[in-house]
Amino acid sequence: MTRYSTPKLGGYVVLTALGLLASLIFQRPELALIAAPFGVLLAIGLAHARRPDVRVHLELDRDRVLEDDEITFELELDARDSVSRLEVLLEVPRGLELVSGRNPVAIRLEFGEERLLEFRFRCARWGAYRLGDVHLRARDAAGLFAWEKTLDRAETLRVYPRPEQLRELVAPRETQLFTGNRVSRQKGEGLEFADLRPFAHGDRIRRINWRASARRGELWVNEFHAERNSDVIIFLDSFADARLGGTGTLDEAIRAAASLSERYLIEKDRVGLINFGGILNWLRPGTGLIQRYQIVEALLNTEITLSYAWKEIDFLPRGTLPAKALVLALTPLLDDRAVSALLDLRARGFDLVVIEVSPLPFAEPDPGETGKLAFRLWKLVREGRRAEYERAGAAVVEWHEGMPLTAILEGVSASRRHARARA
Amino acid sequence: MAVGGVAVYGAITADRLGFAVIALGAGAGLLLVYGLAAASPPALVGALVGIAASWSLSAWTRGSGAPGGTILVATGIFVAAELSFWSLEQVSVPDEPELFARRAAGLALRAVGALALVSFALAALGLNAGGGLLLEAVGAAAVVGLVALVFLLARAGHEQAER
Repeated sequence: MTRYSTPKLGGYVVLTALGLLASLIFQRPELALIAAPFGVLLAIGLAHARRPDVRVHLELDRDRVLEDDEITFELELDARDSVSRLEVLLEVPRGLELVSGRNPVAIRLEFGEERLLEFRFRCARWGAYRLGDVHLRARDAAGLFAWEKTLDRAETLRVYPRPEQLRELVAPRETQLFTGNRVSRQKGEGLEFADLRPFAHGDRIRRINWRASARRGELWVNEFHAERNSDVIIFLDSFADARLGGTGTLDEAIRAAASLSERYLIEKDRVGLINFGGILNWLRPGTGLIQRYQIVEALLNTEITLSYAWKEIDFLPRGTLPAKALVLALTPLLDDRAVSALLDLRARGFDLVVIEVSPLPFAEPDPGETGKLAFRLWKLVREGRRAEYERAGAAVVEWHEGMPLTAILEGVSASRRHARARA
Repeated sequence: MAVGGVAVYGAITADRLGFAVIALGAGAGLLLVYGLAAASPPALVGALVGIAASWSLSAWTRGSGAPGGTILVATGIFVAAELSFWSLEQVSVPDEPELFARRAAGLALRAVGALALVSFALAALGLNAGGGLLLEAVGAAAVVGLVALVFLLARAGHEQAER
């Protein structure tokens, strides 16, 4: 604990000294009498100032929660000596909102008293937070000295983005070799009827189509589409972020990425993540619960890191982008590096879907005609970029804040179906 | 209120220079308001020194000896000081209601203590007229003690900073 004298001590010393000196100099007794209470308080306060002894125990009820969930943080104080005034300040990271409990708070602790301070927080924004840095400041009874201590016992609280309910997912054009829930164009074991063919040795009796066999006078068997999984790569553009108030395009993109990865993993697809930004991160495609947690953990650590280095898709290690993978890009289309990397991916034959997290709700034109003109030009440049993707054969869809993601995905699926039908 | 009361009382009881007394008191009051608004301890100390000077000027106009209102004035200035520094603490971290009640009771007790102390000092020193040798001796001892205290505190603070 660090001890220091309060401004009150200095002030009272000055008042007492001045009063007594002035009393002597001006031969005025009333000045000495005015100074007397201050002097006596100083003497008593200095004689009784003791270092406080308080034990602190911290407890967080959960360390993994979803956005908008509430958590309880308990701070138990055990006084081994009485403390006249103890100020308690819990450092609250941005993204957590205090729902109940007073922070900071000043309390009094009697000798041997145990006090439980309960703070309830609402997790307003996803992220990994350190919660538990507590600042304590005790004052003596006269308020002449203060003791300060900072407890660095923070626990990590992980707030996961709340996944959105998605009715439909964008189906990849190609499937992979492993068993999954997607109907493959190849024939094999499955439930979806594909074709009929004449019976061959080795075919199972249960696959004989008796009605077709009766019509044709020989044995015919049903063929089915194989059910396979697919590889889905979520490409998160974290070069730039448009923000207004407490929210921005990155927040929307992270929520979408969490929802998409969860749903694709439920469908037994292999899901990978490429965090393409100032700091390049990636996760090779994988399946299962562990992969789900790894993706969410990687998303929680995502932040905009300013970088001027030109980055290309070649920077990624082999295996991060498997052939025939569906690449779902979440980008605000603000940075040329991400824009060109996605075009590069499309040129390499990847099945690319660009979900443009629109920065327009977070951007306002500067006042004046020039500002409006610049804003219009900027929007035209964005439209040009979208057209560039469409010419390259990639689906582009603009996603505005507040629109349900599932509606966007349904739109993408419909446009891909139409494009296939036209082809 | 205490500061205002002291200033007005001093101006009323002054034999002459009432305007100077009230001007000094008003200045101290303004400084106190500034000190509280800007959370500035030096301004608070300045305000308390100012109000003490205002009272002292009033007493001087009435000749030698401690006037009758000294007990109330000394207590008033002390209470004003305690309340001012308490207010500064409330700016950063407000007291919970239970602590607030206890501190209010403590302040009342200190005010009574100050009242008793000043009354006792007046009675013990027989301060009806003039300062006398005894008061000068007490004052000199207190000043020496305070200088020693300031020196010790400065030294303790220096050692702590080194650690």
